[in-house]
Amino acid sequence: MEIALIFLSAVFVNNFVLVRFLGICPFMGVSRQIETSLGMGLATTFVMVVASTVSWLIQNFILAPYNLPYLQNVAFILVIASMVQLVEMFINKASPSLYKAMGIFLPLITTNCAILGMALLLVMRSYSFGHSIIFGLGAGVGFTLALVLLAGIREELEFADIPDALKGAGIAFIIAGLLSMAFGGFAGLV
Amino acid sequence: MQVRIRTLVRGLWEDNPVFRLLIGLCPALAVTTAATYGMAMGLATSFVLICSSTIVSLLKNVIPRKVRIPSYIIIIATFVTIVDLVMDAFLPDLHSVLGLFIPLIVVNCLVLGRSEAFASKNTTMASIVDAIGMGIGFTWALTLLGAVREVFGMGTVFGLSVVWDGFVPWTIMSLPPGAFISLGVLVGLLNVIGRRLSERS
Amino acid sequence: MRESIRMVVVLAVIAMVSGAVLTQVYNYTYEIIQANLVRELEESVAEVLPNTVSMEILAGSAELLADNGPDDEDSILVLEGYDEDGSLLGFAYVTQSPGYGGPVKVLVGVSLEPYEILGVKVLDHAETPGLGTRIEEVSFREQFVGKTLDDPIELSNDIDSLTGATVSAAGVVNAVRDGLPRAIRTYEGRR
Repeated sequence: MEIALIFLSAVFVNNFVLVRFLGICPFMGVSRQIETSLGMGLATTFVMVVASTVSWLIQNFILAPYNLPYLQNVAFILVIASMVQLVEMFINKASPSLYKAMGIFLPLITTNCAILGMALLLVMRSYSFGHSIIFGLGAGVGFTLALVLLAGIREELEFADIPDALKGAGIAFIIAGLLSMAFGGFAGLV
Repeated sequence: MQVRIRTLVRGLWEDNPVFRLLIGLCPALAVTTAATYGMAMGLATSFVLICSSTIVSLLKNVIPRKVRIPSYIIIIATFVTIVDLVMDAFLPDLHSVLGLFIPLIVVNCLVLGRSEAFASKNTTMASIVDAIGMGIGFTWALTLLGAVREVFGMGTVFGLSVVWDGFVPWTIMSLPPGAFISLGVLVGLLNVIGRRLSERS
Repeated sequence: MRESIRMVVVLAVIAMVSGAVLTQVYNYTYEIIQANLVRELEESVAEVLPNTVSMEILAGSAELLADNGPDDEDSILVLEGYDEDGSLLGFAYVTQSPGYGGPVKVLVGVSLEPYEILGVKVLDHAETPGLGTRIEEVSFREQFVGKTLDDPIELSNDIDSLTGATVSAAGVVNAVRDGLPRAIRTYEGRR
């Protein structure tokens, strides 16, 4: 039950992008086409799950026992950066076709604040190991959902008559605002 | 000297991180429920930006190219943690409002971006000037966005009431959708102003 | 080869300097941060347990006071409050219950026997501004004053709800009601 709550809360109620404002840069940058945004979303979800596992281990086996809370930020961001690099190399070796599809997004993921944000949140809430992974998965799925939704709308917008000044970023923000309002309806679900 | 001034001014308008380059958007949207919070976030980010740009440009010949990104990340994360701890000690109220977004300055594309694109290739003096310009640009953008949301959402600016009696606050402006919509409208308005200005000159 | 050694050395030196600087800053700020937390709690306790000048934690983890503490509903913090002469005034407890946007954390002051609620303060919540945030208003909170274990402490029964914020109000009511017997048990167990 609690697992379902954590997952649904991360995907809908407290959607990482639309409610928590984490990962806005890729959300705006890679949401022009459904296909690329799906690729970005899946790559991010994958790194999220790996990063949630590793940050939990670091927190509970290194930082907490040695009382080093102040090194948390440095340690997590370094680990996420190296994880992304490792994942990139691994996918390249294991499946070149997947690498072709996901490869260009991987370096961008390091500076996606949704990942570091997720790692910091799971420590703040002292989640158990299993719950951390579910939280990471939910965060990734929520990110993908928001990204694909925005991309779907932006593809249609190509044919719309938008005031010049709002073309591009302006209208994208306003649509994101409307999406965020829609997600507001999920509040109280959990 | 003229080059310096141009470097400084660029971040204010032409290459404004939030309105033009569209980077550093997470804190820009998340903490701008009031002008004070936007300003505090802007100043905290500027501090990290200026310090890390200085160190990166000083060490640019020492750090091997292959490990430059991890090195920059450690340098930035160190300054971020310093800001985090010092704010927690001396400005606890502000610290609890900005919360998660203080440690997340580490992954603000603006900070890493300036280290990688500017400070690692330029002199220390130029890097500091660039960082100050970008920092001011980021700070005024967040302050403006915060002020707009505060006026409509609560009827105040920097905590001072600025509206007539009987004004009904638009609660939506304090909520997440208000952040997106305000930023979208501001980007549009500034596009119009920018276009008018360039037509005139 | 020499290049890779240089890479390792540079990274290690940067990491060591970073660690050393952070340790210094952490040690310098640690006590100030702790003192801030205690002062904040003392001010809150004085609000729900009038005349309190000092306090002593009886049970529970102080982590509950952190901005993003555990979501666990079972966690409770119980502390005693003393006035300036050092005589016991009563006790206070911090606990939480789900609201609309997340857990609602409340601090409740209770008198010595017959254990009457003296005051309620909402410490932390993520409720909708303008609607759910009305749980912070005095008119809502003072309804709890004078309640004891014998009262039902129920929404729309002895506590008036808030229009448009029923779930948020229920969060406060549930936290206060469910915490009271547990806090009394903890308090009596320690006496």
